[in-house]
Amino acid sequence: MGGLGGFLLRRACWIVITLWIVYTASFILMRSVPGGPFDSERKLPAEIQKNIEARYKLDQPLINQYFNHLGNILFAGDFGPSFRLTDFTVNEVIKQGFPVSASMGIFAITFAFVLGTLSGIVSAIRRHTAWDVSFMTAATLGIAVPNFVLASLAIVLFVFTIPLFPAAGWGSLRQIILPALCLGAPYAGYIARLTRTGMLEVLGRDYIRTAYAKGLSERRVVTRHALRGALLPVVSYLGPATAGILTGSLVLEQIFALPGLGSHFVEAALQRDYPLALGMVMVYTCLLLFMNTLVDLSYVMLDPRVKIETQ
Amino acid sequence: MHPTVRKLFPYIALTGLFSALAWAVSFGTLPSADFSFHNGDEVKTVDPALAYGQPEHRVMTAMFEGLYREWPIGYELDEQGNVVSTPEPDENGNYPMGSAPGLAESYELSDDGRIYTFHLRPGVKWSDGSPITAHDFVWSWRRTLHPETAATYGYQLWYLVGAKQYTEGRVEVGDLVEIELANRLRADQPFPRGDIRRAKLIGIARPPQVSPPTNASDEVKEELQATWRSNWVYVVDHNAVPGASESASGKVGAYCKGTADTNWKQYETEWVDDRRPESLPDTTVKCQQILLDFESSVGVTAPDDATLVVTLKNRTPFFIDLTAFYALYPVNRACVEKYGTPNWTQPQNIVTNGAYNLEFRRVRDRMRLVKNPQYWDADRVKLEIVDAMAVKSVTTALNMYLTGQLDWVTDVPASVIPELIARPEKDFIPTPVLIIYFYRLNTTRPPLDDVHVRRALNLAMDKQLICEKVTQAGQIPARSVVPPGLPGYKSPLCGEFDVEAARAELAKSKYANRPGGIPKIEITYNTNDTHRAIAEVIQQMWKNNLSIDVELKNLEWNSYLDAQHTMQFSVCRAGWVPDYPDANTFIDMWVTGGENNETGWSNARYDALVKQAAEEPDSELRLRHMEEAEAILMDELPIVPIYYYTGKNIVSPRVKGFFHNALDQYPIQLMYFEE
Repeated sequence: MGGLGGFLLRRACWIVITLWIVYTASFILMRSVPGGPFDSERKLPAEIQKNIEARYKLDQPLINQYFNHLGNILFAGDFGPSFRLTDFTVNEVIKQGFPVSASMGIFAITFAFVLGTLSGIVSAIRRHTAWDVSFMTAATLGIAVPNFVLASLAIVLFVFTIPLFPAAGWGSLRQIILPALCLGAPYAGYIARLTRTGMLEVLGRDYIRTAYAKGLSERRVVTRHALRGALLPVVSYLGPATAGILTGSLVLEQIFALPGLGSHFVEAALQRDYPLALGMVMVYTCLLLFMNTLVDLSYVMLDPRVKIETQ
Repeated sequence: MHPTVRKLFPYIALTGLFSALAWAVSFGTLPSADFSFHNGDEVKTVDPALAYGQPEHRVMTAMFEGLYREWPIGYELDEQGNVVSTPEPDENGNYPMGSAPGLAESYELSDDGRIYTFHLRPGVKWSDGSPITAHDFVWSWRRTLHPETAATYGYQLWYLVGAKQYTEGRVEVGDLVEIELANRLRADQPFPRGDIRRAKLIGIARPPQVSPPTNASDEVKEELQATWRSNWVYVVDHNAVPGASESASGKVGAYCKGTADTNWKQYETEWVDDRRPESLPDTTVKCQQILLDFESSVGVTAPDDATLVVTLKNRTPFFIDLTAFYALYPVNRACVEKYGTPNWTQPQNIVTNGAYNLEFRRVRDRMRLVKNPQYWDADRVKLEIVDAMAVKSVTTALNMYLTGQLDWVTDVPASVIPELIARPEKDFIPTPVLIIYFYRLNTTRPPLDDVHVRRALNLAMDKQLICEKVTQAGQIPARSVVPPGLPGYKSPLCGEFDVEAARAELAKSKYANRPGGIPKIEITYNTNDTHRAIAEVIQQMWKNNLSIDVELKNLEWNSYLDAQHTMQFSVCRAGWVPDYPDANTFIDMWVTGGENNETGWSNARYDALVKQAAEEPDSELRLRHMEEAEAILMDELPIVPIYYYTGKNIVSPRVKGFFHNALDQYPIQLMYFEE
């Protein structure tokens, strides 16, 4: 397993460098946008404006702010106070929001994976049948219909017409189902299409013909031999998809009034809440890099042809 | 890769998936609240000194209480909380809203209307059981005014003598000052403070100024200036203050916030009465702050635990209403000093004094409030557990109301208002509130520098149409800047929609016969569908009725604010929410050079009337002065009023003790469910 250790070490180095570049770029971008976090419709007296800025150390030269903030993150893991949610630190905001986004995301991704692969497999095996056409139409719709439309339809149907679920809010299993389904739907569509394409390609291979020639049942051929190869594109898609899903969705969080991370992401940027926006960017980047590493590792597990580079 | 690892992989992946799912469904159960309401956007802070905004207002009045509290005029309860008398609503459905004694039982006012002596209610307690004293008010107001607190509504206390100067950190030779030494417990926390030395400022020694490089940016110049100011040396006389600290060494001391040179005695120095003391200390003592002496110079003192004396600069008839505003609420000193800002506001730390305590807070979800048993009026608070839900989308909030998840929603989507009004439950009653939507006209830019053009623009605007077809929530077309609904005040009105009159007015302007016609006008607004729709309609009206070309300029919020503050606009959309229920809050902002004037408009007679009103002891006459001032404003029209807002509350018919009012404020402690 020495190869694996070396691989992880090298990957870790790259992750650190990437994170640093992302941090720096975000920092510069954010500070070059006009307006500041403490602008308001009511003009504050200059004296008070100055005091607020001093309190958050915004009066210091930009380069000092950069190194101070970066230093705090590196040595204390502290992203500092949120400028807009004044009672909270960025760490607290993330600590509260991440579990919400994560549990909704886990549901959504599980739903997307199960539904997507199953319909993809069925479509591939029964291609050009009514099954195939209807599954693929549904998949295309799932990808094409924006999730706020889907969510609105779901609310009309399952909250008002047939009162199965509560309209919004957070705190029980029933409240999680509608948003998770709406969040997962486009991903399910992608996964179905990816599985179908992957499956079709694999089913044409020699080793599948050999398997059939041995007299194996279709079910056995598909689950034992074809599935592994067919799922490779899905696995590589799952990495970034999971990172995206786990950091939440602004639209769905607003429609279902969920206290997840998605709203913070957009609002922090709009309100010039510098530390929170930076924190969110870093969380997303970390998740993305972590998931990609996991994907690379599972590739090795799934596909015997892939080897970890060991030079 | 070892084959067994490969074989095991699907099982490992599956185990991972299932444990993740198991974690995702594990919810802590939450007991349901008695009453849940839609509080709009996330509450930014529950620190009374730092809060601003409507959602903050709602929770702040539930958790804290000031000398007075918001209360419907004429609403009375007996000891057990049974309703004794209820006021009658006006023709719009609004109840009169005023203030009733809170932590103060009563007050006396001096003849000149400047000195209030408040008597605290006996036995009032903080939520931790400790007594609330007049000293808590002195300390809290001092904290609010302290420059490093950076209180948003600090200026609401500037009616007190010396308060503004204290906040601004301005000290002049001859002033009594308080010097805070640089020995704070935590440098970034202004409270608890370092050691305080009180003294009389007898001289300020200023080092020679370094001239900035010619090509320096404003930022660099400002920084140089700030550094220079921090290096001033303050010379004080310790013995000039009665009861000054004995430990202060010697009679004369020298203090500096920055780093003073050893040769500071050679600096150019401004001495009080031009008298230089005979001997000066060689070294300066580093200090954190030099401020006006709060105890002797700012108008709030506590002669004993139960008495608070407040001295105002001028007669301020609305001061009692101000004491019911959250910027003037006291906070618990021990709690703030122990945990520091903002940590003291965390649910496990916070000490409150109002009807409710904060049990927990989840960002963008809810604030759970539970009844505070220590509250002096707890017997008459009926709801035990209240959830303030941070639901940003008004559609979602309405969905939650319709499915019974919420009992009160504070805003509804404009598109469904006609349907909501028609509901058989009669639970949606839009009532006018004291908020005005208007256009600022930049009177320094042609053609808006001509009063005839400004009048013509107003006359050519069909505000009725805007309210009926664009905003649609029963808004009322506005012809004055002070909205109706303030007791005793009758606004003078500006011209009504009349195309003929508008054209006639325009013909009188100096631009009428100019070649090239009337210069183009640009309407600036911030990103919002309603603002855009209104601007488009007005663009058409001005084009059709006056043949003036109008361009629209949409700016993102912060850029829009910037454009407004720097007057980089010709016409700009704006709104104004009153700070206190008095016409003055709408009138005094238009004086020459006022911070929120932002139109370049100036009128000497207007300024004089506003000043006269501020000093007028007779409350009737005072209103007349303000009416006269508004008449000038409505004649010269540096702003064009468009409509008055309506409150869009939808409240469950089961909820009692909810009084629609023009201030759009609804104390939660009054609400209860019908048995």
